[in-house]
Amino acid sequence: MDEAVIPPSLIRDDEVFLRMNLAERIQHILLIVTFTTLIITGLPLVLYEMKIFKALFAFEKAFYIRGILHRLAAGVMIANILWHVAYSIFTKRGRNNFMELMPRFKDAKDAFQVFWHNIGLTGFIYKKGLFKAFFDKHPYWLFKEEPEFGRYNFIEKFEYLGVAWGSLVMILSGFFMWNVELSLRLFPLWVHDIFIIIHGYEAILAFLTIIIWHMYNVHLNPEVFPMSKVWLNGKITGHELRTLHPLEYKKIAEERMRASAKTSETK
Amino acid sequence: MNVRTLIRSGLLAIGLVIWIASAGLAAGDDDCLTCHGDKDLKSGRGRSMFLDAEKFQASVHGQAEIGCADCHADLKKVKDFPHAEKLKPVDCSACHDQEAAQLKSSVHMQPHRVENPIVVTCADCHGAHDIRKKDDFESSVFSINIPDTCDRCHLERVKIKNGGAFVRQYQQSVHYKALQKAGLSLSANCVTCHGGHEVKAAGDPLSRVSRKFIIKTCGRCHVGIERDYLEGVHGKDYVRGVKDVPVCTDCHNEHGILSPTDLSSRVYATKIAAVCSRCHDDERLGRQYGFLTSRLKTYSASYHGTASKFGETRVANCASCHGFHDIRTSADPKSPINTANLARTCGQCHPGAGVNFAKGKIHVVSAKTESQGSHVAKIIYIVIIGGLISVFLLFIAADLFHRIRTRWTKP
Repeated sequence: MDEAVIPPSLIRDDEVFLRMNLAERIQHILLIVTFTTLIITGLPLVLYEMKIFKALFAFEKAFYIRGILHRLAAGVMIANILWHVAYSIFTKRGRNNFMELMPRFKDAKDAFQVFWHNIGLTGFIYKKGLFKAFFDKHPYWLFKEEPEFGRYNFIEKFEYLGVAWGSLVMILSGFFMWNVELSLRLFPLWVHDIFIIIHGYEAILAFLTIIIWHMYNVHLNPEVFPMSKVWLNGKITGHELRTLHPLEYKKIAEERMRASAKTSETK
Repeated sequence: MNVRTLIRSGLLAIGLVIWIASAGLAAGDDDCLTCHGDKDLKSGRGRSMFLDAEKFQASVHGQAEIGCADCHADLKKVKDFPHAEKLKPVDCSACHDQEAAQLKSSVHMQPHRVENPIVVTCADCHGAHDIRKKDDFESSVFSINIPDTCDRCHLERVKIKNGGAFVRQYQQSVHYKALQKAGLSLSANCVTCHGGHEVKAAGDPLSRVSRKFIIKTCGRCHVGIERDYLEGVHGKDYVRGVKDVPVCTDCHNEHGILSPTDLSSRVYATKIAAVCSRCHDDERLGRQYGFLTSRLKTYSASYHGTASKFGETRVANCASCHGFHDIRTSADPKSPINTANLARTCGQCHPGAGVNFAKGKIHVVSAKTESQGSHVAKIIYIVIIGGLISVFLLFIAADLFHRIRTRWTKP
């Protein structure tokens, strides 16, 4: 279906769509709060040589409180994840979102295409008149167009699956670190040592991913700077939908056209 | 003989007895006091020559009825009073010959500083006319008063090698607190460790606080600890004369010995690792005596070590697992870190600790050879983190590059 087929009146640019409903926004905020708490109370144990963390835990009983906070945040985060899992199983919207978030081959292709489109190397070579025959025959390799994304682009899918994977690893390893005696009843010490290594390094990975990747995409990216407000109001406009998630835009448009066709038929 | 003469002669006899009795005590001393009882009596140089008779009577010598001339012996030959201004210094050794001999060999009688030599005599510590027995509360050498007596010189006037602050550390110590606050007269004061009359410079090999004798000195009170120490590796090497082995003071400090529960103590739970690692992280010592180093580094990397660094006292420190005074090698069946005892040692904190606690390494120096599982996990993560972050940065760079380029080309 071409864009030309969609009459602009069908989805106005200023029409507001709900991208994150209240439950999703609360889940996201809970994730922010618990994740930040876990990082602040946990990272000092991994980067124990950094003086800044010693200053952070200088007061009396600080280390004890740190442990309590860490476990508390972990508990809330696990509850939040359970809520999200139930939400993704038992609500239609949750199921739909979850299916939309599943990775497809297209996502790898999209990432590849976005990268080379942004670099623009092949376009530059083509302009210089090199490999003209090849590029004329295979215009894909010029990466002239940006790929069209659905409800979730490859960046968002990657982040979601990253959180899922990270949570699984952190909860499992953290559970055994929390219950050392149980862990060592089941595993030899060297396996427990691996849990500790995994918990620490996965934390660094998660922290860096959030700080670099997520912060760029939702804050520092000039397109949304200083911040995309979706996580607060959950709203996305028809214009944003058309430019950022064109496939979803088309899907909605198609549904509306079908619906209007149906109503005109019944008339 | 009538009753009157009887009474008269009786009174006379009683008076005679009293007179004779008192003559032995104070006949000569009264003569002395005619002049020296005067509060304003001054020597040619302006020093007060007053003698407080009451104080003297209360002193050990006064009680023993020793007269002025017994100590100021040259007065015995003097017939004409007032006597010459300069008398010979009192020689206590006439009676106290043993103590005098000890003092003679001590640092106090040796002019140990070349310029401006200082010689300490009996009176400097014991006083002169008001000398009391050492178990008299008022005595300058009563155990609780000894620190003040020594401090009269050793805080300011006499500069010892380590300075007055080093001496003053004693006042923070658990020994001084026991002495002053709890009034435990048996607690260690200066003399207990350094000796009294025979006191030697701390650097003197014959000193009670020298390496050779310190174990015995501390062991005089802490005898059970001395026994434990001599059973451990440190004690065994100490007996063999190994110079680098730690003695009491190396871990517990010297003057400023604090209770292990004191936050500032060197052997406080969170600080003990620093003490042990002074030697046990020393490569030279490790090579010389064949022990493993990097103990602090490997401990710090563990949860125990990290938590300890952040001030958590309940986690295991060196002593929790290795013991303290009687530290033994892991090969020793009595050692708490002997494989057979590990479950029990770990079980002190981790109830129900089983054999799995022994299946792994605690101080991992090289994960590559000693803890392959963790090593592999670490490498995998480093590769993943490095790879992913590079990809993120590449994508961000490409995105920014694209934005800059399109803004330039499409005004």
